[in-house]
Amino acid sequence: MSSKNLLNALFLRQDTWQGRNRSLRKHTISTGDKNLDNLLLGGWPVSALTELVSQQDGIGELSLLLPTMKHYACRDTLCVWLDPPYQPYAPSLVNAEIPLEQLLVVRSKNSKEWLWAAEQSIRSNAILFAWTNNSRPRYAELRKLQLAAVESYSPAFLFSTENSLKAPSPARLRIGLQTHKANVLSVTLHKLKGKNPGAKTEVILNNLQTERTQLEQLPVNISYPPKEPSTYQLLQNDESQHLNA
Amino acid sequence: MQNIWLYVHFPELAIEAVLLDMDKLPVDKPIAISSPQKNAQRIVCCNQLAKTWGIEPSLSLSTALAICPQLMVVVKNIRQEERLLQRLALISYSFSPEVIVDTNGLWLNLSGCEQLFQSYQEWLKRLQAKLLMQVAFIVTGVGESPLAAKLLCGSQFHKHLPNSHEIQCALVATRIDKLPSTLKQQQSFKQLGLKTIGDLLKFPRSALSRRFSSELMTTLQLLQGQKPCTSTRFKPSTEFYDEIQNTQGLYSKESLLFPMKTLLQRFSQYLIARQCHCSQLSWRFEPLLGDHQTMALNLSSSKNNWSSLLTLSRLQLESLELPQSIERVSLSCNQFVDVTESNFDLFGNQVLLDNQASELIDKLYARLGVDALSQLVTSEEYLPELAGNTQPPSKNTKTNYIASKAPQPLWLLNEPTPIQERNQKLYWRRPLTIISGPERLCGNWWQSEQQRDYYLACDSKGARYWIFRETTNKRWFVHGLFS
Repeated sequence: MSSKNLLNALFLRQDTWQGRNRSLRKHTISTGDKNLDNLLLGGWPVSALTELVSQQDGIGELSLLLPTMKHYACRDTLCVWLDPPYQPYAPSLVNAEIPLEQLLVVRSKNSKEWLWAAEQSIRSNAILFAWTNNSRPRYAELRKLQLAAVESYSPAFLFSTENSLKAPSPARLRIGLQTHKANVLSVTLHKLKGKNPGAKTEVILNNLQTERTQLEQLPVNISYPPKEPSTYQLLQNDESQHLNA
Repeated sequence: MQNIWLYVHFPELAIEAVLLDMDKLPVDKPIAISSPQKNAQRIVCCNQLAKTWGIEPSLSLSTALAICPQLMVVVKNIRQEERLLQRLALISYSFSPEVIVDTNGLWLNLSGCEQLFQSYQEWLKRLQAKLLMQVAFIVTGVGESPLAAKLLCGSQFHKHLPNSHEIQCALVATRIDKLPSTLKQQQSFKQLGLKTIGDLLKFPRSALSRRFSSELMTTLQLLQGQKPCTSTRFKPSTEFYDEIQNTQGLYSKESLLFPMKTLLQRFSQYLIARQCHCSQLSWRFEPLLGDHQTMALNLSSSKNNWSSLLTLSRLQLESLELPQSIERVSLSCNQFVDVTESNFDLFGNQVLLDNQASELIDKLYARLGVDALSQLVTSEEYLPELAGNTQPPSKNTKTNYIASKAPQPLWLLNEPTPIQERNQKLYWRRPLTIISGPERLCGNWWQSEQQRDYYLACDSKGARYWIFRETTNKRWFVHGLFS
């Protein structure tokens, strides 16, 4: 092989650092949010492992990935959900226009099976969404997944808990997810090739509030429960008022 | 030539069928196959080495052993022979559309096969290579009718196809006693001074029909191709079954993979011959003593590739409890799917991705078990816990999009969990605050009347929950998480 060919082959490899960020943008897929795309130098890295460290369940960590999931699932790519912490609710995924036939929920019995299923999914070019559920895989195991992802065509996502931040991660991208206000997710960059860690951005999640007519105002005869000062008062007042405040 | 028939003869089929079960092939030993005939064990087949000792068919066993004391004698196994012959017929079936099974041989119709294989020479070369993988000793004959081909069977495999004139010359020169005929007819041939088939054919038919029975006339018509051969043509069976026996027993799962591989290769040949794929297959592992163990392999999409079937079988075998030693491994399949030709995308790799997805599902199935995989489906139910469901993965489900404006969570708890009320304030893990709602849900009156008001709540750390209040008993529950 001539030296030019050799160089070109090296440039094609995604783990070759080329000193400029522009090359990294080629191997990303947009997150659907402009601020986040800017933070991540183009979007979620394709052919790489991405680790999302969320402060706790239910803050919007999965909603962040719904546009990406929709993008791939609509193109007939299988999305594997490995050990999700709860039962995924099908109607809400249908609302997000994700074809359910492309989603596969896999439950592993032990860490060995978890690692095997994750690796097989990545190697088969499926989109992997894996939850570690308090049992942090070893560095070498995660590196195995990262290496498998480099050879695949699709991104792989790993959801882990805040405890895992103490340990190093072989993932190409590692972000922390926190929230202090409902519907606003704050993203902190922990690791990304080509960018300094610590950068932050905020992502506004879909506003899930709905305006409803108060049931008692409806011109029909319905049996609405009698007023209870604790809860009913709340609905009348400011929405974000804390119950225990 | 209008019709060309090739007769493939396996002179040592009986030996090869018996040797299939043996681990080490006794190559440099005189071997003979015996079978009971007329109240005595007689030799029916022997190898070249035994022949040099002077052993020949129809010799009695005691005489044979007296001539050659180190002769290895094995009892004839008709079932094995038939299975081997069927396998050889299956291989031949991919070379010729017309295959007829004979005892210890096969007829193949070559007419019209030239174009597919570019030349008859190439055709013969490939057939020989395929057949040699199964049996070691093959001889062939070529003729214009099946009977002529069998009579002209020589002592080696044809490399080239003889022309019409050569075949005719060879047939005319063939000894008359090779012609299938009764003892009485043979004596008549001798009396008439007929030595070759050519001599017989010189006679006018009318003269022959006066002297001989109608059977001989039919034989001659068959020989010259004037009457078509009516023997049943070979067709692959509608179900597949094959087995490999190991008399010494297999003690580890790794050693089981070798017979499994061989069986799957044979199975793959069968599927190719039948032009179909399989959707399920079952393995059976039998020990010498005790109960057998079975293993069914379900495939999400049909397959005919032996290597991927072997990978899946191996994955499933890992979690199977087997008896200590396995004597017989068998493979059977009766669920086939006709192949639908897939269109390859010129510019994309969609087909590749589709295949990879179904292969992944099969692998996960095989290793993790049936319960580990599920697919989400929606059902038209009022209660959220009934609206979303899971089922085993299948490609046929299609999502029906029903847009709903109401906020719905991505995670649903297995069942609604009661929320504590502390000082008239809601508390689940942390204190909760309601941020929007309510969304009234009522229905299911035909089973149990339910009326729920769903609210969106968040806790002090920003996690959002889907909570509801039962209007009847005024109790609060958390039902899902907005992830």
